[in-house]
Amino acid sequence: MAAREEIPGRVSAKANAERSQSSEAPVLAARGVEKSFHRGIWPLRRKIEVLKGATLEVRPGELVGLVGENGSGKSTLMQIIVGLLKRDAGEVDRPDRLGYCPQLPMVWEKLTVDEHFELYGRAYGMADADREQAVVGLLDELQFAKYRTYRIEELSGGTRQKLNLALSLMHEPELLLLDEPYSGFDWETYLRFWEMSERRRDAGMGILIVSHLLAERDRLDRMYELCEGRICTC
Amino acid sequence: MLSAALPTSTAFVREHLRAPLTLVLLVAIPAFFVLIFASVLGEFAKALGGTLASQSATAISAGWAAAFLSGTLAFFQVSSSRGADRRLAAAGLGPVRVAVSRIVAALAIGLTVSAVAFLTLWLRSGIGHPLHAAVAIFTFAAIYIGIGALIGAFVKGQLEGSLLVILVFSVDAFSGPQMTSNGFVSVTPTRNAANLLIAAGGGQGSPGGDWIGSLAVALGALAVALAAFWFSARTRA
Repeated sequence: MAAREEIPGRVSAKANAERSQSSEAPVLAARGVEKSFHRGIWPLRRKIEVLKGATLEVRPGELVGLVGENGSGKSTLMQIIVGLLKRDAGEVDRPDRLGYCPQLPMVWEKLTVDEHFELYGRAYGMADADREQAVVGLLDELQFAKYRTYRIEELSGGTRQKLNLALSLMHEPELLLLDEPYSGFDWETYLRFWEMSERRRDAGMGILIVSHLLAERDRLDRMYELCEGRICTC
Repeated sequence: MLSAALPTSTAFVREHLRAPLTLVLLVAIPAFFVLIFASVLGEFAKALGGTLASQSATAISAGWAAAFLSGTLAFFQVSSSRGADRRLAAAGLGPVRVAVSRIVAALAIGLTVSAVAFLTLWLRSGIGHPLHAAVAIFTFAAIYIGIGALIGAFVKGQLEGSLLVILVFSVDAFSGPQMTSNGFVSVTPTRNAANLLIAAGGGQGSPGGDWIGSLAVALGALAVALAAFWFSARTRA
């Protein structure tokens, strides 16, 4: 925790928590989200209820945590918000321009780092010059510029995770969804990650981050906890 | 739509052709099929009371090589990239453009595979009707793009899926035209294309019915492939 104090320009969580009480419209609102999975084949088919009415909000300029035990449905809720999973019930209001950093990098093993940036730049509708400017900035921030021409299969787990994070950030989204984005990061990169997140939060980005570590709670403006499919702490 | 999908398709093709083993198999499998599988197919037909002649078996084995490679590569296009494709679609490219990019990539790979199979056949035995044979071999590839993509969309396990592709392929190959005396499986996806290829190998033309039939099945298979690629990349926003 002492290392956190060394980050320059860090705005206190308390200050942001006060700001988050403002009447600004949420950039993300999920209400009563329900989701079940069906496993096995008949007659052994069983229903697993994961989300039973989860509700949460994120406002612009907020860094919000989502915690819960393993299997509590955090990643499922993230995937429903992004649109990778269909919800059984409930509503989700979110902006079109969002960034999503999944828990495990969803990338193509044989393509290079640069080729990933090209594909995502096109998906985000970015002009070539804007993409290059954003990519150079992110490579510098996360310090992996020397790997631009490397294939993903040649990268370490930590560098893959840097690319995973950079792909979600390159279009400066209004809402950023991070599902344990720092797994595989070394301590320096971990600290840099929080610095980057706080800088973007201060610039008005809404950020929802799935977190497991108690030590991180102090960095967050607010926190939701998922218990048995519902938000139990706010 | 196609011009927007082309750069993405190019990346998807690169993704496959960068595996050195795939490149080796692109040459080795057509050679194996035309030089060895053809005689096995001929012997098998004889044992089942079929009338498949040696020259016809050689010609049709080039089609089977294109089918086998295109089917397995289409299966792995879906199976190994499902998560990455869906993330790209959700990022803004959309499932339709991802699916179009995938099918363009699958067709480019199918065309390459067909060209290698055609060349192998040409070197092995010569071809009576080269243009007919080339179209028929590509038709085999197109049909198996549909089969591979369909299995990839619904079977998540790579082992189970690839075994299913091989099962469909085996049933199809060993119950094709002139393989048995009673034609116990008379409706197989490649029947018309096989008729075209057998005729072309022997320097014969083919009736219009086989051309129309093989075109219809190939177009149907490509429509199935497009739907399967879309299904795998679909978003639920």
